[in-house]
Formats: sequence, C-alpha cells, structure tokens
Amino acid sequence: MNRDATGARSIPAKRSLPKTFLLSLPMMLLTFVMISRGNIPTEKGRLFALAATFVFFNILFFLMLRTGKTDRFRSILFLTLSVCFVISFISNLIAVRGSMAVTEANWIEGEVPFCHIPIPMNLIPAALTQTIIFPGTIVGGYASIASMFVLWLGVSLGLGRGLCSWFCFFGGLEDGFSRILRKPLIKSINVKWTYLPYAVLLAVVLLVALTLSPVYCQWLCPFKTVTEFAEITSFKTLIQTIIFLSLFIGLVVVLPILTKRRTQCGLFCPLGAFQSLTNKTNPFEVRIDREKCVQCMKCLQICPTFSVSAESIAEGRTGISCTKCGKCIDACTQRALFYHVKGTSLISSLDKYRLLFLYPAFIVLTAMAGRFVQDAMVKMIKLITTGSMI
Amino acid sequence: MQLEGFILGLSSGVTCVAYCASGLVPYLLGEGKSVAQNSAITVQFLIGRLSGYLLFAVIAWSINRSFLQQLNSPELLIGPAYVIFSMVLIFYGFFKTTPSCAMTRMNGMRHKLATIWPVSLPIIAGFATGLSFCPPFLLAFTGAVERTSLLKSMLFFLAFFLGTSTFFIPMPFVGIFRGFAALRMIGKMAAGLIGLYYLYCGILMLIGGFRTP
Repeated sequence: MNRDATGARSIPAKRSLPKTFLLSLPMMLLTFVMISRGNIPTEKGRLFALAATFVFFNILFFLMLRTGKTDRFRSILFLTLSVCFVISFISNLIAVRGSMAVTEANWIEGEVPFCHIPIPMNLIPAALTQTIIFPGTIVGGYASIASMFVLWLGVSLGLGRGLCSWFCFFGGLEDGFSRILRKPLIKSINVKWTYLPYAVLLAVVLLVALTLSPVYCQWLCPFKTVTEFAEITSFKTLIQTIIFLSLFIGLVVVLPILTKRRTQCGLFCPLGAFQSLTNKTNPFEVRIDREKCVQCMKCLQICPTFSVSAESIAEGRTGISCTKCGKCIDACTQRALFYHVKGTSLISSLDKYRLLFLYPAFIVLTAMAGRFVQDAMVKMIKLITTGSMI
Repeated sequence: MQLEGFILGLSSGVTCVAYCASGLVPYLLGEGKSVAQNSAITVQFLIGRLSGYLLFAVIAWSINRSFLQQLNSPELLIGPAYVIFSMVLIFYGFFKTTPSCAMTRMNGMRHKLATIWPVSLPIIAGFATGLSFCPPFLLAFTGAVERTSLLKSMLFFLAFFLGTSTFFIPMPFVGIFRGFAALRMIGKMAAGLIGLYYLYCGILMLIGGFRTP
C-alpha cells in the first residue's frame, strides 16, 4: 500500500501482476456462474459466445484492478451492454412479433416487456388502486414486472444511483456518443436544467395518477426508438412517435456528442432523479479530498451527469446525482477523488473502499450484460453464417 | 372527475407555495412563535384561499349557465381556453422568472389592514392568493367552467384547493424553506410540463368541436 506525504494511505497507481491475479480470481468464479447460469452449452456458437464473454469481462476487470482506472474499462463494458441489448432485444421482438411495433392486442394482452425506468411512476397507482398499470406480465415471461422490480430494488440498495452507470442497459448508448469528440462543442449548460429530471418525475407521477396509464412509456421514453413502440394508427400515435424520436435524437445522440455529457441521464431521466434519492440510502459515495484538490475543476467539466459543482467540491463530495461511474476519479491528476464507504475513515483504506465498491458493481454489470452479450454474439454469428439473425 | 382538479392543484402547488407564500413565510417568521401558532395562522390563510377559490367557482358556474350551455359545441370555447392557458403555463414554467401572485403585490394594503383589523390578516392574504390569475389557476378556472352544476364547479375548485394545500402542510415548520430555490425551480418546470398535457387536451377538444355537426 502506498503512503502519501501526509502519511495517509492512497490507492496504488499500479498493482503488481500476481496481486491483481489473486484479486481477480473471485470475480472469475462469480462471472462464470453469472454468465453460464450453471449450464455449459453444447452448441458450438453458444459455447464460443460464453467463452468470449467470460474472457472479455475478466480482462476488463483485471485491467481495472491493475491500472487503478475504473471508468476507462467500465465504459467499454457499459457500451457493449447497451449495443448488445439493442441487438438482442430487437431481434427477439422481430422473431416473436414480426416487428418492433407494439399492437393494441399486445397492449391488451399484457405482453409488453417491462424495463426499470417506469418503476417509480408505477408505485403511486399501485398504492392507490392495488393494480399495476403497465401492460406487462407480473411474474414469468420476458422481462416481467416483478423480476425487474426485485433487480431494481437490490441494485438501488447496493449501489444507489450507481444503477445508472453499472446496470442501466440504455445508459451506454449516450455514454458511447458522449465519447466521440475529443473536446465538447457546447461547454456550458445552464444549471437550472439539472432540475428538469425532478420536474419530469413529478409531472409524470401526477399524470400517471390522473390518467392511470403509463404516461412516460407512451409519451416520453426516448428509448422506444431502439426497443419497441406503438404502431402508428392515429394522430395520437403519430405525435407520440415524433416526440420519442426527437427526444432520442436530441438527448441520446446529438447533445451527448456536442456536450460530452450524458444529457438524457443528467437532464431528463425521471428514474435518474428518483435514483438520486437512493444515493442517500446506500453505503457507497465518491468523496473529494479538499487538501489534495488544486481546484483545477477538471472533475466539474467532465462529470457526465452534472454531479460536481464548485459547492460540492467545497463540501468534499460529489452531488446527489452522482452515478459513481468513476470518470472524475480517473481524470483527477492529484488523486483527490476516491470511492468511499459511508461512516468510515476518510484517510485510510481507500483502496479497500474502491475494491468493496468494484466487486458488487462489476457483478451487477456482469449479471446484466452477460446474457445480452452472449445472445447478441450468437445472433451476429448466425447473421454471418446464414444471412439472418432470426 | 374531481381527481383532475386535485392533480392540477398538486402539480402547481409547489409553485404556489414557492411564490405566493413569499408573503406568508416572513409573516410566520415574524408573528408565529411556535408550531401551534404558525399552524393557526396557516389554517386562517388557507380558509381565505378557499373563499377566493369558491368565489371563482360561482363565477365559473355562472359563465357556464349564462351562455356556454346554449352553444352547440362548447369545446370550441373551452378548447382554445385550454390551449391559451396551457401555453401561458408552459411559458411560466420554463421562461418566466418573476412571481405572479396577487398577494405579493398587496403588501401596502396589507399593512393598512393590519392596523385596522390584525386578526384578519392571514385570511385576507389567503383570499388574495385565491384571486391570483396565475396560469394554474386559469386552467383550473377553465376546468370549472366546463362543469355544468354549481356543486360540481365548487367541488372542482375544492379539489384544486386541496391539491395546492398539500404543500402548505410543512408551512408551520418554516425551517423547511431553506431549499426553496431548487423547489421553486422544480415546481415551475413540473407545472410547465403539466401545461403540455393540457395543451394536448385543448387541441383534442378543439378538433372534437370542429367535428361536431
């Protein structure tokens, strides 16, 4: 363990190969269980996908431990998760339904897959009417409401808003787009817009209670562009299509490229706003050592979700909306930012805190990505060999 | 459905507290010495507000009874009202930064009244808030005009009042107002987004009105 000038322990810049290997061993075992789910496939394509996924994931984790960089390797897996999710989801939809469009019949029969984003919007109607207003299956089936709720609850308790950088299968898309340019073309965004996600959450919750329908999914979700959407059969569905396409192009593609920030997550997503509250109830946080900080403001400039401000730096912590992606920690040349376990020492065991965070966070990412990466890989192999994914 | 009035009240209640209470909170801080005293003042204030709203419920019903019921397509009047007021609400939610509450413009009169009849001050302040032509109120008024009976109109405004009043509950514990700027911003933006919903409703109503033979 290194010691800095003040005698406090700091995170080693680079870990030795044997130590890194030893620390990676538990993750190898866990990722194998997560990815294989106890079954070794006999089909060659699936076996190759399993092996490639396992090696890919573990190389990334090994590098995280070896180099001390978190976001550099997390972002690769996060983008992979999102791209593979889109490939896997769309191909499955087309195989089952024949198109990405949700019909009235699917809606009535409750065959719409559920994702984590509308969870907070469903809580009030569920409490008021004892019914789930989303037209999906409660238990069983593909992406059921109960399974997504349990996953969300577990990740929220463990990682808080870390969910947005280690679990969300949509976040990687804008994270990827935000890394295209070397420098941002739009450098400053009025701070008032960082309140918009909370306003969207409040407005959507109220409208859901008023209309008892999944307002966000029907009207505002930008990710319908890459998953499923209502068939255009009326003026209403036409307007809905225009809205979600505009939001996707604006918030997930164009603005992340221009600002180098995750604008959908930081300026719009109502689940993100809700998750910010869970940041208060989980053990991990990102802290700033004010003695080491030289006020270069690099962390403030690069934070993808606008979670670092001059005030938060003065307080020695990131803002409530921090997704614990580790980008600011990687970028700080003074090593003033670090992962921390609440209620513990701020000057010692910093490397242990990082490991304590990385293990559960990476397991969550692996659990989410494992299935989609393998499935997408199998589909791509099928596309190359047969000319069709389905 | 009174739920609509309640939700509209809930959506604009944060803004209502944020702006219109700017006169009440200093009063509470200055006059109220305990939570119980502050609660009594807040209740008086809310009674005044309810009186203002009920007065408008009667006016809304009168409008409906006097000429709206004679029209073949009342949607052609109500629809544009929704469209205009929701657009004002959107503007107010995202662009307008200055307060728009009658009570805040009555400080001089309040001081005069305070010397004549001090007990009434919170009630009068509340009544002034009830008469404020802020965009959420105008939307609520349009909603009340749609109601065909006096009872329904009054119930609509009562529901609106209850929705907005939810946010006045913490008022006696004035320490909560430290985070006011953020709350005001979120409330304003949420009201603007709710305005988008009413804009859509207004457009649909207008289209429906044109289709009516």
